[in-house]
Amino acid sequence: MPARRLTRRAFLATAAAGAAAGPFVFTPARAQGFNWKRFQGKELFLLLTKHPFVDVLEKNIPEFESLSGMKVKWETLPEIQARQKMTVEMTANSGGIDAFFTSLHVEKKRFWKAGWYHPLNQFLQDATLTSPDFDWNDFSPGARAGVTQPDGSISALAAFIDANVLFYRKDLFASKNVTPPKTLAELEPLVQKLHAPPGTYGIVLRGLKNANATQYPSILFPMGGTYLKDGKAALDSKEQVASIDLYSKLLRQYGPPGVVNFNWYECSASFMQGQVAIYMDGVNFASQFEDPAKSKVVGKVGYAMLPSGPGGHFSPIYITGMAVNAQSRNKEASYLFCQWATNKANAVRELMAGVGVGRTSTWDNPEVKAKPKMPADWYAAYQASLKIGRQGLPEIVAVTEYRDIIGVAIQKAIEGAPPAQVLAQAQKEFQDMLNRTEV
Amino acid sequence: MLLVAVIIVYPILYTVWMSLQEWFASSLAAPQFVGLANYHKIALADARFREAVGRTVYFTVVAVGAETLLGLAMALLFNREFWGRGLLRTLAILPMVATPTAIALVFVMMYHPSLGVANYLLSVVGLSPWRWTYSSQTALYALALVDVWQWTPLIMLIALAGLASLPREPYEAAHIDGASTLRAFWHITLPLLRPALVVAVLFRAIDALKTFDIIFVMTQGGPANASETINILLFNQAFSYFNMGYASSMAVALFAVVMGASLILIKVRRATTW
Repeated sequence: MPARRLTRRAFLATAAAGAAAGPFVFTPARAQGFNWKRFQGKELFLLLTKHPFVDVLEKNIPEFESLSGMKVKWETLPEIQARQKMTVEMTANSGGIDAFFTSLHVEKKRFWKAGWYHPLNQFLQDATLTSPDFDWNDFSPGARAGVTQPDGSISALAAFIDANVLFYRKDLFASKNVTPPKTLAELEPLVQKLHAPPGTYGIVLRGLKNANATQYPSILFPMGGTYLKDGKAALDSKEQVASIDLYSKLLRQYGPPGVVNFNWYECSASFMQGQVAIYMDGVNFASQFEDPAKSKVVGKVGYAMLPSGPGGHFSPIYITGMAVNAQSRNKEASYLFCQWATNKANAVRELMAGVGVGRTSTWDNPEVKAKPKMPADWYAAYQASLKIGRQGLPEIVAVTEYRDIIGVAIQKAIEGAPPAQVLAQAQKEFQDMLNRTEV
Repeated sequence: MLLVAVIIVYPILYTVWMSLQEWFASSLAAPQFVGLANYHKIALADARFREAVGRTVYFTVVAVGAETLLGLAMALLFNREFWGRGLLRTLAILPMVATPTAIALVFVMMYHPSLGVANYLLSVVGLSPWRWTYSSQTALYALALVDVWQWTPLIMLIALAGLASLPREPYEAAHIDGASTLRAFWHITLPLLRPALVVAVLFRAIDALKTFDIIFVMTQGGPANASETINILLFNQAFSYFNMGYASSMAVALFAVVMGASLILIKVRRATTW
């Protein structure tokens, strides 16, 4: 640590010179222009999270180093540990992290309220800092909304965008002569038809508390439910009751045994073992389904949008991004990294590797089309889902606490408790929690 | 001395101090002094904490109870001379040296209701499948089973050491008086072994009260909150909800429970002659 600080201090002079020059350069004139090498010689430290997007990104970091002339060091931790480290570093005001990979669906409002995201609005408008081909408007509207705070400040650049889709077994569907469900009303009869235990279970969804909270909106949103109404908890609405009723009934009656404690790992394992006909979850899990080393259902999986319902047609989406740390001493240089990590070239690489990104230009990229890693209906289902994307979790400070509250309610319902009763309890806890945290 | 002060005493005192505050680690607001409000909440208002305390105690009783019975039985077995005893004894101790997290991950796979080997084995002997950690009715027992698997050898070791040090004379006297093996066990072995067993049980109980790794890895306290012990709840409050003040008060409460158990251990050790 001290050694790194020292090198920082040595470069502080450069940074100061850059800052002093700032006002003169900040003109629309293209005279100065954008230059990747502007912060040559600096050293950045990143906190990354173990994630398919990061796996692809890490391999290409040397390219950024030669492009920018900067030295990049990074640490990659599992998501929960990364969040803990972030909290400790930020609370201690250490300034040791320059940029970080952020799970916006959990951290967005908490980190924003804590002032840990450096707002990127000015950087994005600054032609000397933002490469002309970066193209902010290339991000889908959902991706842009996902990184933007209620006050308009942009907290991160969207990296990976997960959308919930429906995975189904084409072979089983063909043998029963059925097609993927278009509406929620079709879902249960269809699942019932496909359900033939112990060989095949009709459906699998996440049962484990907290984890299930990201799948629940796949039913809740089309049912017309919302998390909040006028800023108040809305977990006891009739749409919520209908949603939890359907979600728990599907799993109780047509799910594999023990589904109440299934996380994505168990869900995708039973799907890949060929035990399940329908599985709804994040689109990125699909890359394992098509991996012969892991999956018994390679080539048999169909990909479709989630069914619509009386409340409309939605796909819950979850966004991660690259953010500049507000405590960093190299904010502009860090921004260059974030910009590079989410630019078009890297977005194409991610998509080629089967990792979903929110840049619309990548959807029709000839490179992706020529060498698709995934089946064509995967790309189609993913694109269509992004168009109907809605942030999957409530944008509140205490997201994790909310996920536990609704998660426990769902688990109790799966085990047979009446939906209205578990939701009444959840509603009370959720409102208490909002009173405590949303002040 | 200074080292002890810095790495042990200071954190404890700081935790006690934090437990009197309301503070969210990510918020800009400074900690706010709330006196004993957190303790009032855990003692009276928080049903989730109360349930967690009950569960922690229940888990400890079930796990340590089974470990004591099995450990004693294994000690008696390995106290006899038979061919291959050394090898079997070594094998029996192996679970103890494995890393709990690794074991937990293996058990997660074994417990999988439709893909796991546990239900396959049940089906081989003609039993119907269980839900293991995948049902709120059985999760706590399935977790206790992992604990039993791992820590029975510890009780066995301590009991075995106790058995090895027993005098022969009482047995010879009992034999001459015509006492059966069972009676000799009940009236001679158990009373003489008691000090060693008490220590073993208390050691295990203190450990079981603090169990965290296997539960966190295998169920994260679920389904619903069916396997949420004090430690898991505390972890959630501190590192998932960032509710540092409240979590500190739970840590202090758990500390008091474990401290109490330790004091009993010390007292019992002093009261019994070896």
